[in-house]
Amino acid sequence: MRALVLAAASEPQVHLTSQTRIVAAVIAVFFMLLILDLIRRDRLQERYSVIWFVAGLGMLAGAAFPGLLELLADAMGVRNTNVALFSVVLLLLLGLALNFSVIMSRQAAQITRLAQERAIEKVRQQAGEPNGNGSAGKERLEAEEQGLES
Amino acid sequence: MRTLVFIPAWNEQASVASVIADVRKRLPEADVLVVDDGSTDATAERAREAGALVASLPFNQGLGAALQTGYLYALRNGYDACAHLDADGQHPPEEVVRLLAEVEADRADLVIGSRYHSGAVAASGDYKPTFSRRIGISVFRFFLTLATRQRFTDTTSGMRAANRRVMSLFSQHYSPDFAEIESLQLAVRQGLRVEELPVRMLERAGGSSFLTPVRSAFFIFKGLVVLLVGQFRPRQAEAKQ
Repeated sequence: MRALVLAAASEPQVHLTSQTRIVAAVIAVFFMLLILDLIRRDRLQERYSVIWFVAGLGMLAGAAFPGLLELLADAMGVRNTNVALFSVVLLLLLGLALNFSVIMSRQAAQITRLAQERAIEKVRQQAGEPNGNGSAGKERLEAEEQGLES
Repeated sequence: MRTLVFIPAWNEQASVASVIADVRKRLPEADVLVVDDGSTDATAERAREAGALVASLPFNQGLGAALQTGYLYALRNGYDACAHLDADGQHPPEEVVRLLAEVEADRADLVIGSRYHSGAVAASGDYKPTFSRRIGISVFRFFLTLATRQRFTDTTSGMRAANRRVMSLFSQHYSPDFAEIESLQLAVRQGLRVEELPVRMLERAGGSSFLTPVRSAFFIFKGLVVLLVGQFRPRQAEAKQ
């Protein structure tokens, strides 16, 4: 905490004018308002919004306490604060993009399975057997599916 | 012994009916299912007219998803054995009968119809792969053999027969991108008995192969990545622990 106060008080090396800090802070606030609005209008689900709020708060913190950036650069062993900032942001974006690829893959698999289930259901309608196969086949199927999961 | 023959089809209205008729003639006791992979032409109608069951996917999902639909249907409906062949008329149904015989005699869990197996060379004067296809074939043959320590000659064959062990495996895990090759690797890794049988295949009835040299190169690269990743998938024995 003391380090934080010190960082806020002293700003020797970081070349951020008060104008850029204000602009950054305003952008950060607008960004978070935008996220809120997207959630409010059901365009964004809460579970995918957390990361964006963290990003917004990070932006705000950077604007309010430029010393934080310097601490960050020191921790990374980078002399140039700007390089440290860009590296961190780049890494975060990379992680985020990967996260989206994972989510996308999962959803693609779910969509495929959904399409397959629907196609199979339609065959059953065509064949005119609403109850599908007999109970013996069903028990056998359940046993096999459990065998797979274990 | 209940048998299902399924045919993945994507815009194959010209050939699907004759393939179905052929299958029904050679395998009168088997049920025939056409997995219509989001066709925009009259494939589904032609298939229904020809007396097949039709599972229509609402949009095109790729060969892997279509094949998986067939395996899932066979598993759900209690079939003892299933086989699939292409809808373009390349695969003579009398060869499918031979594949199914192997499965029904319980000599293998999964049987692949191979165009290039030594026994097939004499008979398969009718099938000639293009140059870029030949390169891809030998690359995959080499790496799949390396990965599975089992000799495969026709890694991309779409003519196969399988029993219930394979159905339950493939209905759960089946790569949508690299259906043929990865499924072989998967089956061998899970300890299933995979066997190749030399078969005769015909030149495709209509349409041309989608492979251009650039696409071939990309296809091969993708396939190698898939094979490499597949080597790190857990085996069933390990997963159980």
